[in-house]
Amino acid sequence: MKNILLLSIRTFCFLCMTFPVWAQKSSWTVGMSQCNLGEPWRVQMNADIRKAAASHPEIKVIFKDAQNDNLRQRAHIEEFVSAKVDAILVSPKEAAPLAGPVRDAFKKGIPVIVIDRRVLGDDYTCFIGADNKKIGRAAGRWVKEKLGGKGNVVELKGLMTSTPGQDRHTGFRESLQGMKIEIVFEADMKWLEPNARKEMESALARFEKIDLVYAHNDPGAHGAYLAAKSAGREGNILFVGIDALPHEGQTYVKQGILSASFEYPTGGREAVEAAIEILRGKIVPKEITLPSRVFTKENIDKGGELLAE
Amino acid sequence: MTSGHWNKVILGRPAVRAGMSLLLVFVVGIVFHADGTFLKWETHRDLLRQISVYGILSCGMTLVIISGGIDLSVGSVMALAAVLFSLFTIHQGWPTGIALIATVLTGALCGMISGGVVSRFKIQPFIATMAMMVFARGVAKLVSGGQKISTAIQQPDGIYQYVEVPRSFDVLNARILGDNLATVTLILAVCVVSCWILLSRTSWGRHLYAIGGNEEAAWYAGIPLTRMKISAYGLSGLFCAVAGICQAAQELQGDPEVGVAYELSAIAMVVIGGTSLRGGTGTIGLTVFGILIIGYLEKILSINAVGEEIRLMLTGLIIVVAALFQMKRM
Repeated sequence: MKNILLLSIRTFCFLCMTFPVWAQKSSWTVGMSQCNLGEPWRVQMNADIRKAAASHPEIKVIFKDAQNDNLRQRAHIEEFVSAKVDAILVSPKEAAPLAGPVRDAFKKGIPVIVIDRRVLGDDYTCFIGADNKKIGRAAGRWVKEKLGGKGNVVELKGLMTSTPGQDRHTGFRESLQGMKIEIVFEADMKWLEPNARKEMESALARFEKIDLVYAHNDPGAHGAYLAAKSAGREGNILFVGIDALPHEGQTYVKQGILSASFEYPTGGREAVEAAIEILRGKIVPKEITLPSRVFTKENIDKGGELLAE
Repeated sequence: MTSGHWNKVILGRPAVRAGMSLLLVFVVGIVFHADGTFLKWETHRDLLRQISVYGILSCGMTLVIISGGIDLSVGSVMALAAVLFSLFTIHQGWPTGIALIATVLTGALCGMISGGVVSRFKIQPFIATMAMMVFARGVAKLVSGGQKISTAIQQPDGIYQYVEVPRSFDVLNARILGDNLATVTLILAVCVVSCWILLSRTSWGRHLYAIGGNEEAAWYAGIPLTRMKISAYGLSGLFCAVAGICQAAQELQGDPEVGVAYELSAIAMVVIGGTSLRGGTGTIGLTVFGILIIGYLEKILSINAVGEEIRLMLTGLIIVVAALFQMKRM
């Protein structure tokens, strides 16, 4: 009995002594609400945040997954506020439903960093995102140059009710204006590879001459490649995708499946860095637009090439 | 012999009515042939490949629906199988045979658990299989770490190492018979024939119809309800695993997100064929009609590059028309 008591006292003393160490180790808690983890790109964003946070022992990140549910994500923000976190990272599902909770948190003095998709109004600390229209335009310019200004193109669109899908489409078409490049076939593959393969099979059956496939994401381009390979026509067609995740687009470029993949950066690392700056009392810009890179066979080993506007 | 009598004999047969629906879809295809694309053999060959995974799921779904139940977990169990098969063959480098057996057994186990919950605890099939739908999706995400299992393997230091696609994937993704038939279509055919034998040539099949028709009567007749249901749902899980393996082979990767809402397509294929959701009736042949009707419909819309909005609306309308065809009063 005496021993146990002694042991308890010793343990207690030890804990008290080490307290400052582990208290300092994660002196800041940051909440992160991800709108869903069904998309590999968002899984990658969380991985980037985790990786960036690992090199800063002073912050600890709590991850939450809203599973594509506006109200659940709303609850996340409210939970973070009542848990008194030091900063909130949020990658919203939609702009309107989250505006209120984000404003409340911001008004209570908690810094809020919004990633990728926006919230309505400007009651947040910082927005970090990339420009899909710019990426679409860059893809269009690349295609124009590669095809010499003429040819038959298939466009496999992402979900056209989502802004990334719309922007990647309009940006691309803007760059092709006045060219002899004809979009012979376009279909909404809803970001999904099996759909892209189905649609591409229809395009292949219908058109003898297809020079290039522009897909709004890399899995779409990969699905189109598989369809062309199955028809024995992959050698005559170029495939271009967007996102350039390490294990998807960049891999496909390395394997020679895609001719080019345009990066859509996740902003995970930048968000953690911005949070630390803010918590250290520094001021960060209200709006951070992430640079994007293009990966091709020639530059993939050098880590891609930054896009010019 | 009045014409009314002939109407009854000919049009009274569900297979004839399903055939008429299919014929109607065909006529639509010939009218909207998209510069002759619908008339090319390749279009039909590719269609038969596309519907294979859905078709395999519908085979299991037919068994469960005949037993008076429903299986909402097929899409998720399929995703789990796709992930497991890719993990076993691409990442672990297991021999194909062992990977196949392990994956198929896991699928069957998922189904048997659903069947056990339905029969032992008397939980409604809708709820029991919905639970499995959510659970299996969770397992698929867990074992894959939320990422697609592909030939790019991330090492502990974060660098990607690239491996070759396993031969089993190439075999399943290839075509046979002089490039005229996809291997996965052959697998669908094997599944259909197995179901046909089970349903119409074995006592197991007769018991299944009996349970679907009148469960209490079947129980009084001494049919082992629990065992029958566990085996029916287990077979559905087994078919899901086969479908998952085919899906992974065609995508060259195991995607934990694949197969969302596939259960709805599978149910639609079974019901449009003419198998009643009430159970106790229907055949696998009707399901084949259902698979072809929905498959051709999608293909015709796709080759004509019809916009997504119109596609959804037309699909809804045509499902209703096909269901009307199946009504007894016609």
